[in-house]
Formats: sequence, structure tokens, C-alpha cells
Amino acid sequence: MEIVFRQETAVTVAEISGSVDGLTSTALLTALGDEVKKGHIRLVADFAKVDYISSAGLRALLGTVKEARGQGGDFRLAGVTPPVKKVLELSGFTSILKLFPDAAAAVASFGA
Amino acid sequence: MQRRVALVIGSGSVKCAAAVGLQNVLKREGIGIDMIVGCSGGSMYAALMAAGYDAETITEMSRRLWTRDITAKKNRKALLQLLFPKLFGFDARFGLRDDGPVMEVFEKAFGKLTFENMKIPLYLTATDFANGEQVILSKGSLVDAIRASIAIPFIFSPHLVDGRLLMDGFVSDPLPVGVAMKEGASIIVAMGFESPLQGNINSFARFAFQLSSVMTNNLLKANYAFHSLAHHTEVIPVIPEFGERVRLFDTAKIPYVIAEGERAAEEQLPYLKRLLADGESAA
Repeated sequence: MEIVFRQETAVTVAEISGSVDGLTSTALLTALGDEVKKGHIRLVADFAKVDYISSAGLRALLGTVKEARGQGGDFRLAGVTPPVKKVLELSGFTSILKLFPDAAAAVASFGA
Repeated sequence: MQRRVALVIGSGSVKCAAAVGLQNVLKREGIGIDMIVGCSGGSMYAALMAAGYDAETITEMSRRLWTRDITAKKNRKALLQLLFPKLFGFDARFGLRDDGPVMEVFEKAFGKLTFENMKIPLYLTATDFANGEQVILSKGSLVDAIRASIAIPFIFSPHLVDGRLLMDGFVSDPLPVGVAMKEGASIIVAMGFESPLQGNINSFARFAFQLSSVMTNNLLKANYAFHSLAHHTEVIPVIPEFGERVRLFDTAKIPYVIAEGERAAEEQLPYLKRLLADGESAA
């Protein structure tokens, strides 16, 4: 898994690629948590290049959204691929997180 | 740390035959299973696998076991109880179908086998009719446990096991990954199925099935989310997608169902292998 951060006005976009699972979720949670600690509480995870998520990955997403919302911000997902969306739906995450078709729409949603 | 791999097969009637496809993939890759958990229709396949049958034998047995004959015989007393409850008495042992044929089929398949005879530790789930608690069956008669686990409300009466009246396991959890967690699994391969929604509600039966499917699917998601988030066990969901509609007794579609099970398992295989390899390197 790789994470590349970029700043788009007041929104931090994490472009993630690879698999978000038991072998990578700790690194993801730490990286996203560090952003929240820096005050980057408007976060978007661009999942367009994520091909797999497991229960450990779900826990990382939940941890991040709790941190971001706890600070008054939010953590939103963009470009979720069909296999990942299937797991998000099965686990009820589509009712916890806001999903957008791409990173641009997710970034724009913070201004709405 | 030694990895303990569990296979969980959820409720899903004949669709549970997809577990045979999963079994094929795991066997081909040499991935051993340390325990098996089954619920409702999944309990039959879980028991056959735990007993040590190979995929071909299970396919053949399930074709013979899961036929319309098992629900063909009406329970006349139940119909009278339904129409005239005061006259014929109404109690918790209500079921519209006579369970004689299904018991006969299970006795032919499993005979006097018990959980203690299984080659892989087996846990089957049912639901306590009195209080709704999930009941984990892991001792004694396999036939009684499977009969309890498939006691579909309204169709088959709840079944008495060790003094408790038990109904279908799906009523408490359609995909009981929590059982594998309690039994110490560190990796759970969970094969689950969403209940089909009825296209056209033109009868009371379809109305009832629709209601049941909606509630069951919501329960599946709620329980899956809870267990995925509350524990640190890794759950790998294997969710076959059926392009064709598979009805309750579509046994002719078993080869198709198995193929879809294999396909869903192949999708999860790369991560499962990485996880197992990581466990070995850490040991």
C-alpha cells in the first residue's frame, strides 16, 4: 500500500493505492491520524487505486473518521472500486462514511 | 504466533453449496482449516466438510439431501392449529411442514455421527426460541443440531435439543463469525449470502419472505459490522454474486453455485495467502 498526500485549499487528500488490510492498516491509521493531529481535519481518502479492504482496513477507516469528526472535521471517501464498495456495504460503512465518485467531488463537498 | 483459520458458512439454503467451491480453492492451495462454523443451510455443508468428505461427495450428497421432498409433506395439525387455535391448541412447536422427511434425509446422511466424531472441530448455530439467544451446538447428535439450525420459522417447527427449543440460526445471526472469534480463530474466511428480495409480492408467502429477507439482510450487516470492528480477528468475506436467481430448491443449479463460490474465493485468495505467509514469517 502507498499513500501520497496533497493539499487542495482547506482539504487534505490522501491518494491511497494497493490493499488496505491487516498488513497495511496500522500504517494507514498512523498516517491519517498524523494529518488530523496537524489540524488537517478535512480529509479525503482517494480510493480509486485501492483494490482490496479487509476488516482491519475497516477499523482504520472507523478510527480516522472518529478522530476527524471529534475535532469538528470529517473524513470522506472518493472513487471507491466495486470490490471495496461491496465490503463497505456489507459492513454498513456506507451509512457511516460519505462516499463520492471522485476526489474532486469529495473536496468540493466540504465547501457545500 | 500460530494462526488459527476458521471457515464460517452462513445461511443461504442451496446457495450454501458455494462453500464447496471455496473448499476446492483452499484444498488446491493447501490451506488447512482449524475449525468450521455453520448456520442454517450452511450447517449441512459445514458438517459434511468437518466429517471429512471431499468436494465431489459433498456435491452429490447435497443434491440428494436438499430437495423439494424435505418440505413436501404438510403438517395437517399445524393447519388446524392455525385456523382453530382454541380447538386444536397452539404452541411453540408450530411448523407448517411435517419434519419427518427432513429428519429421514439427515439420518441417512449422518446416521449416528456426533460432533465428537468430526475430523475438524465443528460448531453449528441455532437460536433459542424462548429468548432469542444464539445457541452454539458442539456436542452430541449431528442430526439434531442440523435440524435445529435449519428450523426455518413457520416452515419447520423449532426443535428440542437438551431441553431448549431451538429455531433457525439465521434468526440470531445469518453469518456467525462471532462464534469463530470466541473459539480462538485469528483468521476467519466467512462465506455469507444476502437473502433474495421478492420481485412481485402477489401472495402471503412472498410477503412473508420479503419481510424475512429485509430483516435478515439488515441483521447480517449489523452483526458483520459489529464483529469486524469490535475484535482484532481478521475477517475475510467471501460473498458470491449470483447473476442467475437461485431459488430455495434449485439443486440443478448446484454446479453453477459451486463455480460462483470458487470465483468469490479466488478473489480473496491473494490476501489470504499474504496473511498466512506473514504469520509464518513472524512465527
